Amino acid sequence: MKIYGSGILKSMRIAYRNMLRKPITVQYPHEKVELPERARWAVAMKCDENGDHKCTACMACERACPDHIITLDFTTAEDRSKHIDRWRYEIGACMMCGLCVEACPFDAIEMSHNYELAVTDPGLLAVELLTDVPAVSAKRKTTTGTSSKPEGDEPSESKEPGTADGGADD
Amino acid sequence: MNPWLVAVLGFLAALGLMLVNGVVMIYMLRKVLGRLHIRLGPMDNGPWGMFQTVFDVLKLLSKEDPTPRAADKALFFLAPVIVFVPSVMAYIVMPFSRTWVIADLSYGLLFIFAAMSIIPLGILAAGWSSNNKWSMIGAMRIVGSQVTYEVPMLLAALSVVMMAGSLSLSDIVAAQSGTFLWVFPRWFAWNVPALILFFISGLIEASQTPFDLAEAESELVAGFSTEYAGMKFGLLFLAEFSNVFIFSALLVTMFFGGWQLPWVSPDLPWVQTIAPLVFVFKTYLGIFFIFTIRGTLPRVRVDQMLATGWKVLLPASLGWVMITGLVIKIGQALAGVR
Repeated sequence: MKIYGSGILKSMRIAYRNMLRKPITVQYPHEKVELPERARWAVAMKCDENGDHKCTACMACERACPDHIITLDFTTAEDRSKHIDRWRYEIGACMMCGLCVEACPFDAIEMSHNYELAVTDPGLLAVELLTDVPAVSAKRKTTTGTSSKPEGDEPSESKEPGTADGGADD
Repeated sequence: MNPWLVAVLGFLAALGLMLVNGVVMIYMLRKVLGRLHIRLGPMDNGPWGMFQTVFDVLKLLSKEDPTPRAADKALFFLAPVIVFVPSVMAYIVMPFSRTWVIADLSYGLLFIFAAMSIIPLGILAAGWSSNNKWSMIGAMRIVGSQVTYEVPMLLAALSVVMMAGSLSLSDIVAAQSGTFLWVFPRWFAWNVPALILFFISGLIEASQTPFDLAEAESELVAGFSTEYAGMKFGLLFLAEFSNVFIFSALLVTMFFGGWQLPWVSPDLPWVQTIAPLVFVFKTYLGIFFIFTIRGTLPRVRVDQMLATGWKVLLPASLGWVMITGLVIKIGQALAGVR
């Protein structure tokens, strides 16, 4: 049998017990929690050891994106090398599902741990992660890793198709 | 000194105390509720967020103060004043120590109850003049509950008055000095049923959770204060917190020995010196308890509350007044026989 009012006493006991516990608050701007390793936040470009991007403009991420927020514009030169005009990404519409990262066959993008995504200008919600850079050749990837000397031909390569194909595409 | 000057200074002291209390209590409420929820409460403005309420007051003062087009303008303006003024009046008879009392009326307890019973009028005016259904429902609820529970509150106080033999708050405090059976302070808190009755009905009079039906946020937006903004809202809010302080101070005065320390003679000079501090400390302990209740218990339904008021608390308080009277009379008779 329950005593009348025992529920009140029990709830008060729990309340006072809670008062003795250490607060679980993280005072966010002053202290931050360490994110788990696989936390998914804004998509970012991965860099190789030279600090270059690894995107081959294969379009896998754009096709995988359920929100259609990744836009990859590229031009193909006569020697079939690609030039990335822009790799556009709308953070404001991204749901951080990570499908683009899973789809990427070249490990070129990652879900970064950058979660402070608020901006004062709505225009900043769409960012271009890559603008007007040559794409990495999918075939040459292993050779560049050993020789690491594609700088010599890449500027010339990129300049030529950039001018030639720009007109051809349009 | 000029008695008018003394009166004005006393009133200003009461007003200042009330304002400071409001600021401190809102900060305290947030901190206490925060700790109950295993949170920290305000932390950013000042050390441990101490200036948070100060900034809130500044915000309230600087806010636009619109009047709804459909509102009854005169009443809408008057209602916060009608709610605020009785709250200040109640401070006037509070005995902070033997000498620290603005006006030591011989009917101080009655004065407080009389002043506090004006508050429902102001709240009804606020709800009616807002011309808003939520305000009206909230106002009707608070008036219904306060009219209901004023009776058991008065009757519970009556049994204390019978024990003390006086309506003056200073006399009630004085009657609680000393100890009985060498250990227990002679506080009227041993009159447990009266304490419980007074506490429950006092919670309702101060419209604190679990009886804050008047502004039940989840049902009524903000009750009678829905249409209020700026300092008019500030006055209503301040009066509510001040009522909690008054209720707690009454509780301390009537049941917990007022400004006296237990087991210490009230005639010692150092007791007289720290008496106001003791009184405020005890009052804030009571407020702390009220706030923890506010953070713990869910809100009751309005029909439950009114039914409890008329069917349980009113007969119980009447019966307890009778029992107290009988016990006192029998005690006197026995003393006379001996």
